[in-house]
Amino acid sequence: MSSTAATAATQPAPRLTVRGLVKDFTGRRGATVRAIDHVDLDVGIGEFVCLIGASGCGKSTLLNIVGGLESATDGVVAVDGETVVGPGPDRGMVFQAYSLYPWKTVADNIAFGLELAGVARGERRERVDELLGIMELTAFADHLPKQLSGGMRQRVAIARALAPQPDLLLLDEPFGALDAITKRSMQEFIRTVWLRTGVTILMVTHDVPEAIYLSQRISVMTPRPGRIATTIEVPFGAVRGPTVKRDARFLDLVDEIEDLLQTRPEGAAT
Amino acid sequence: MAAHIVVTRFGMVRLSSHDAEQDAIRDREQVMTSPAGGSVEPGGPAEPPNGRASGGRGHRQGDILRLRGDVPGRVRWIGAALGVVSILGLWILASTVWSGEGFSVPTITATWNALVEMWRDGELWPDFVASSQRVVIGYSISLLIGVSLGLLIGSFASINAFFEPQVGFLRYIPATALVPLLIIWLGIDEAPKIALVVLGTVFYNILMVADVARAVPNELIKASYTLGARRWTVMRRVIFPHSWPGIVDVARINLAAAWLMLVVAELLAAQEGLAFRIIRAQRFRRIDRMFALLLVFGILGIVSDMALRMLRNRTARWARDD
Repeated sequence: MSSTAATAATQPAPRLTVRGLVKDFTGRRGATVRAIDHVDLDVGIGEFVCLIGASGCGKSTLLNIVGGLESATDGVVAVDGETVVGPGPDRGMVFQAYSLYPWKTVADNIAFGLELAGVARGERRERVDELLGIMELTAFADHLPKQLSGGMRQRVAIARALAPQPDLLLLDEPFGALDAITKRSMQEFIRTVWLRTGVTILMVTHDVPEAIYLSQRISVMTPRPGRIATTIEVPFGAVRGPTVKRDARFLDLVDEIEDLLQTRPEGAAT
Repeated sequence: MAAHIVVTRFGMVRLSSHDAEQDAIRDREQVMTSPAGGSVEPGGPAEPPNGRASGGRGHRQGDILRLRGDVPGRVRWIGAALGVVSILGLWILASTVWSGEGFSVPTITATWNALVEMWRDGELWPDFVASSQRVVIGYSISLLIGVSLGLLIGSFASINAFFEPQVGFLRYIPATALVPLLIIWLGIDEAPKIALVVLGTVFYNILMVADVARAVPNELIKASYTLGARRWTVMRRVIFPHSWPGIVDVARINLAAAWLMLVVAELLAAQEGLAFRIIRAQRFRRIDRMFALLLVFGILGIVSDMALRMLRNRTARWARDD
């Protein structure tokens, strides 16, 4: 957490640095497929960045590598200047589904990371209560995951990832399995969480309007091999309401990104 | 017979709706045939493209025999009662009408009396204890090996690679074929009997627990790592609790095989035990006693099954499907 400024002190050091990242997968017959090809990516402290691309473009693999769950073939991933060698609670992660402990209550799910970190019971409780409040889940503290709706489950997953106060929150299509209405309210919700906690977020999605609405910067990935085609600055302030979705610039941006995702010969199919 | 009446009553319910269908078909046929020749006419009522011979579109589904369908509690109770009644009915038939010189079947009362007699003689309880002890010891060892190895095989691809060919080969050797070998190696006391129970169940336990462990969602393991858990913590606090209800189910299913092995062991060499007592009864042609002992096996099975089911529901409330 408190790793003092990275060596090169020219600019404010980014929270996450990805340099020359390569990931090859070896098939059964020994043929290698390049999933990620020399990707560079920076995420500044407190920034909300989206990584967008069609299925199979390597964006989830990239996120897994940042999370330390997969290793890179080549290149460097660093958080606050420290090289990532494996998973840890400093990089909380949220998946699309099936990631809550079904035998633990909502409160115990959220507390698990704190428990692993050896946080004392009283302090754990305080932190969990606070998160339950932020997530509007206080009334469901003693429920089991199976008693919750899909949106609530994802809120628990986000709370659980936030509990150990990570430097970086990694979201892997967190709303991909939700219905359109729940998805919209979850988008509002993650924005509120981001504004309130100031956590740095890197989110993977294939939903173009979602990426524009939520993030400050969008890296567009194209597949085979996975590369970052462009990075687009989103022209809206940190505080924004759903009305920006009707802004002309918003709609232009949707078209622009969708064109980028579709012009590639192979990535076009959705 | 009661069974027939109810079944036909269900049939009659279906029939009445069939009648309605028939009427509808007849009506339609009249409409169809009246304007000469009667294929599709432009003004007529829209006919389903693949014209079904019934009123309305689609096939009507039955209520009682619907695939994966739920039936009312009443129907479930009737079904269960019918099941019990029919097997008792078969028994009564077998013991009265069909029973003869060669095929001798004791009546229900005779069986009950034999059971009481064995209990009074004071041999039923020691037999029960002896047999249960062998199963409990043998099956506990089997579960201990099965659960620990199964969890490891289901969690680590490398351990899986090591054990897969061995277990795959060994489980196809019928455990009962090992009996002569076990007698040579371990004598005829308790050891070979317990060993047979272990060998006859352990490979199934290993493989089935491995499958249970494989069913832990990847996301759950990944999320645990990103929450700060290390490999061993994930095993102990994520894979094990997630697999627990599945493990109890595996234990329940393979318990039947444990009793099977016990019977084989006792049939070959034993001084006491439920299956040994069956052999004894055979020597004296006490078919009533044999039936009584079979009954004991059946009840024992049901009771242990219910006990394990209760354990599962008590210890894994989250996995109950209510």
